[in-house]
Amino acid sequence: MKDWKKTVVTVGVCIGLAALAYFAWLFPFYEFAVNDYETSLEKLMSAEYVRVLAPLLIILALSAAGIVLVVLVRRLLVRAGKDTPRFDRARAGRQRGAAPKRKLSLFMAVRWAAMAVFSFLMIWGGLIFGWKMSSLSIPVLSCPWNTEQMAESGCYYLSHLDELFELPGRSIVLFFGSTIFFAVLLGRVICGFLCPMGLVQDVMDGIRRKTKAEGIRMNDNMYEALVPVRWCMVLIFTGLCFAGGNFCNFCPAVAVSPILAGISTSLYVSGFFMVLVLMGGFFKRRAFCTVCPLGTVLGFFHKASPFRIRKDCQACTECGACYEACPMGIKMIYTEREKNDVTCAQCIMCGECVRCCPEDNALSLTFAGKKIYTSSRKKIMSGYARPAGENADGGRRQGF
Amino acid sequence: MDRDADKRKERQDRRFIKRETQTAAKYLRRLRELPGAPEGMEPFYQALERIYVQLQAVEREAGRKTVGTYCVMTPPELVYAAGAVPVKLCSGDYTAFSVGDGVVARDACPLVKAVAGFQQTGLMPAYADCALMVVPVTCDCKKKIAGLLADQCEVMTLHVPASREDVDIEDFVTQLYVLMEKLEEVTGSRISYQSLAEGFGKVGYAQYELSEFIRLKKEMLYLIRGSHAMAIMNAASYMPADVWGEALGAVNQSLRKKIAQKEAVTSKKLPRILLTGSPVVFPNVKIPLLVEEAGGIVAGDETCMGERGMWDPAVITDDSFDGMIRALANRALRPCPCPSFADNARRIYRLKQLIQENRIQGVIYHVLRGCLVYDYEYKRIEEELGSLGIPVIRLESDYNEEDIEQLRIRIEAFIELIKLKQAPEKARAAERSF
Repeated sequence: MKDWKKTVVTVGVCIGLAALAYFAWLFPFYEFAVNDYETSLEKLMSAEYVRVLAPLLIILALSAAGIVLVVLVRRLLVRAGKDTPRFDRARAGRQRGAAPKRKLSLFMAVRWAAMAVFSFLMIWGGLIFGWKMSSLSIPVLSCPWNTEQMAESGCYYLSHLDELFELPGRSIVLFFGSTIFFAVLLGRVICGFLCPMGLVQDVMDGIRRKTKAEGIRMNDNMYEALVPVRWCMVLIFTGLCFAGGNFCNFCPAVAVSPILAGISTSLYVSGFFMVLVLMGGFFKRRAFCTVCPLGTVLGFFHKASPFRIRKDCQACTECGACYEACPMGIKMIYTEREKNDVTCAQCIMCGECVRCCPEDNALSLTFAGKKIYTSSRKKIMSGYARPAGENADGGRRQGF
Repeated sequence: MDRDADKRKERQDRRFIKRETQTAAKYLRRLRELPGAPEGMEPFYQALERIYVQLQAVEREAGRKTVGTYCVMTPPELVYAAGAVPVKLCSGDYTAFSVGDGVVARDACPLVKAVAGFQQTGLMPAYADCALMVVPVTCDCKKKIAGLLADQCEVMTLHVPASREDVDIEDFVTQLYVLMEKLEEVTGSRISYQSLAEGFGKVGYAQYELSEFIRLKKEMLYLIRGSHAMAIMNAASYMPADVWGEALGAVNQSLRKKIAQKEAVTSKKLPRILLTGSPVVFPNVKIPLLVEEAGGIVAGDETCMGERGMWDPAVITDDSFDGMIRALANRALRPCPCPSFADNARRIYRLKQLIQENRIQGVIYHVLRGCLVYDYEYKRIEEELGSLGIPVIRLESDYNEEDIEQLRIRIEAFIELIKLKQAPEKARAAERSF
């Protein structure tokens, strides 16, 4: 695309986003007659819960319909030869068989478990266990409208800075203290290991992997184009309150935890946005994370975080598997040839690069200098190994 | 008149076959006679023997066609997915070279001349048998040979970009789709998700055993001779991947036993040599043989017909059909240390890594006469390795036996030089213990 065209599109998208955020209350997705912020375990058990869940169910239905539609249109396009040549049956037909699999690593298991447990606590923690630490804020996209979550999520006051400074001094200190403490200690590990929005998107990606539907082929140009959009989101996130808007009417996270906790919340642009997040997460792993404003803010602290991605530049063959696997499109990780530390502001510490790296010790995820997850050729090839004897005569001999 | 010509052709053919099989048999014999081989080498020798001595096509399941491939950029997974068997046709044959010498340009590299020679005589079933030939255009010689081969066989060229940016990978993906169409056309079977996954399985199994092999080699110095390793790697061209993988699995078993019993090829501290540069293709294995007969050991190789050619696996990061093709395109271009790319700094890192892991003491940089791209990179590599204190020697050779004596002298001198370097230390160590 020509440069000026690109600029026009980018500026257009940014202005559009800002306008949508500002006028978000004009676009109702689902409105309750009265927003009821009271919830209890009994409410979760009653039929009332289904009524509260309605907007979420609508979002799910719309996303599912959208995904199916996109898949069908793509299939038609592939059949018509509009995309790369033919292969409609292989690419767009029913796909039997499975790509070679390897065992789930301990690291990935821990990551999934951490996401699931933390999301559960941030949604129902207060209701079920009575755990509420409302003076502790964790910078995570778990909606603060849900008054029953385990800890406060830092996103509310970060997006309502004007309200923050009206609070008593002790609260301000506590807010900044805990937010910065977690941001420094965990950095964007929060994105990869804790964030409920991340879990939702990873689940969508998991579904796509199961169905073997084709995703979006991302490249460096597309990732580059997202950078201004990301900064625009940060600006909207922190600045909207001063302009008189409310980010919560725009934020997709509103559509998850409060509703699941049984709080009836009217949705505005956030509802539509959530549909896009789910669809995006299906076709491109962690699509929303690439423009997430809170994640970008967390990225400011990446230099101080004890979690690092380390690279042995000599062992690297520049095969680019890490880049292909990276949901955030970090290219530097495979082109870097000097530095030992390849952590960058976009890295969400999901460990996907380490998992996909075929060279022994070329990439590792470290905590305070200790390796906690290291790439290994043996692990990556484990799916191809054949137990001895399987190929003996009379066995399952495929080739020749 | 016509009958005379026919007779002459027949006579020529007979002579060609005689010379060809004799040379191949000789080098096979030398490989077999080289002591210290692990158990389980026979399948590899037999595969080479079948092609070059018995003059038969690749052994495979009945009904499967063969597809000839050149260079490491052709993904064998796709050929298996189409129900065919890939055969790597880059050749090292001296007799075919002498025929091809009169066919292609004088300054063309011997590898291409040998290919042209086989094409000209039409006496090599491994070539004549191919339903399709896939030629990645990695250099000018390969480009022109693609045109020459097209006279007698269906040929598809793959454009290999000079750089490996994201757009280049995407273009290559498109080319792979075109290649798949061609493969389907030629073999008559369709490529499905399942058949592609099976193709990945076959090649992946071979690569799994190969990475085990290389890991074992690193575990114990002097575990296997480089000439034997080279024979194994060369045989991979003429064996279906899973059959090859299985045979290599047996070798790995015997290597594991050797490690357990601490049984090395030799008890002497032979100078450890790394071979890099232009490919060493059977029967042109004179350089590794000379090194090992002169009292060195080829402890590592970084050549595209050797361990490097199959080292990089296609890593599937996306389970869709398109994702798998992308993995293939990615593997074909990004990690490839082929000098045909403009920026090839990764080769130096790879060499350094190999030197460190295999405790290499000297590097032989092999240049086939006329192989410009490899020759270009010699200077930089010599400088880089020189700064590490690793001696490098550039050996230019051709596909004939005339330069053997000259090569022998230079290799012997190189090995002596390395021995001299390590000698004083030994003497001092002896003194101290005394």
